[in-house]
Amino acid sequence: MRIQVDWTRCDGHAMCALLLPENIASDPDGFPVITHPVVGSEAMRHARRAVAACPALALRLERD
Amino acid sequence: MTTLQARFAPTAYGSARLLAGVTRGAYADLAMHRSLHGAQQHRTHDALVRETAAVRLLGRGGAAFPVSTKLAGLPARSSVEVVVNGSESEPASHKDRTLMTLVPHLVLDGALVVARALRTRRVTIAVHDAAAHEALKRALAERRRSEPHPESVTVRMQPAQFVAGEVRAVLSGLDGGAAVPPGRRTLPTRRGLHGAPTFASNVETFAQIALLVSLGARRYAEVGDPEEPGTSLLTLVGSGSGSGVVEVPTGLPLDALLGGSDVDSGPVLIGGYHGHWVSDVRGLRLTRPALRAAGVPLNAGVVARVPAHGCALAEVAAVARWLASQSAGQCGPCLFGTHAVARDVDALLHGRPSLEVAGRLRAMTGRGACAHPDGTAAFISSALTTMTAEVAAHAEHGGCGRPYLGVLPLVEDR
Repeated sequence: MRIQVDWTRCDGHAMCALLLPENIASDPDGFPVITHPVVGSEAMRHARRAVAACPALALRLERD
Repeated sequence: MTTLQARFAPTAYGSARLLAGVTRGAYADLAMHRSLHGAQQHRTHDALVRETAAVRLLGRGGAAFPVSTKLAGLPARSSVEVVVNGSESEPASHKDRTLMTLVPHLVLDGALVVARALRTRRVTIAVHDAAAHEALKRALAERRRSEPHPESVTVRMQPAQFVAGEVRAVLSGLDGGAAVPPGRRTLPTRRGLHGAPTFASNVETFAQIALLVSLGARRYAEVGDPEEPGTSLLTLVGSGSGSGVVEVPTGLPLDALLGGSDVDSGPVLIGGYHGHWVSDVRGLRLTRPALRAAGVPLNAGVVARVPAHGCALAEVAAVARWLASQSAGQCGPCLFGTHAVARDVDALLHGRPSLEVAGRLRAMTGRGACAHPDGTAAFISSALTTMTAEVAAHAEHGGCGRPYLGVLPLVEDR
């Protein structure tokens, strides 16, 4: 699965970077920097948690 | 009845095809259009896919997507929408307005060819330029009188903001929403206008399709480079005598067009305000594939040169500020990023160091709903690598002593 950000929704809460540091970092304004877009099966649980935790519903996992 | 005129007469080097009969800048009415290009012809869906593939026709907006692939991916049925994107939201570009104002019948021929091939009657033309709007309306009225067609062609005025010209923003605006790019990446060919599969392309693409159908693939490909046959429209900016809209055969060496070996030549911008600066155009040929391979995509065909007696860095700073003002404000990295890098360029212009600019430019790429942050980053980073001598002069003396000429237009002077 691949991480997708809907940039029009993202408000830079930075929850995703907190919950999924293996794949997502945060820029100085709090907006995500996708360091590794592809999520392996081992990290899937954390990725889903990050998606669910996004207050702006801006984070998605899409089949690649 | 007033005469429709382009503000500046366009030029054709070699053979005028799109601009046949109108290089004096006056509107071609239906009778003149028919005498130049012959009767309206049509093709089946399969035949149009074959012919556009045979001449390797690429979209003339910015993305240069193969037209045959786009056509082949669409079903042929009455719910399909055909959208002619005439929003031309880049202030430096005038080619689409020139086509719509002077040869609207060529654009309409192309739109009707596509509609008939896709077996739909739904054609929408999005424009924001008043003269283009008037010419299209007049052309449609002429057809209603002497050459009625079953397709319904709607001409709609759209806002002029830069990102509003992106095709998905145009579709969103036509659908009654805000003319901004949507957050989810959906292809218009799958879900476009009113949610229907949509063939959307740039004005010049439709004019090229009309030419292709009228000339046939073999004659169409008689001029230009085999890689991308035919002609292409460019808007030349700032290089004196050759300024304005020109039609050129593809494959032309860029230095032949610009007079590149000339001693007092400044840096050249290829591809407009989402394009790239180069210091030397030697070795660059004018085809979309060749320029893309060289890392300087042609985008919507704007080629600009700042005269050597002007300050190129000041031009870059002015465009950078304008690009920041054109962010739709939807995406954080674009809104904050474009404004921050515009301030960085301003600092360099005033001789102050800007240590973070490279990092900020890198951080803008790929982080928005449309290509605005990526294009802005490309424009500024290529400027800074091309103009190292200018930047150094500004750092040392607080300026280069040359004036800001305002060669790169910012807001349309309408």
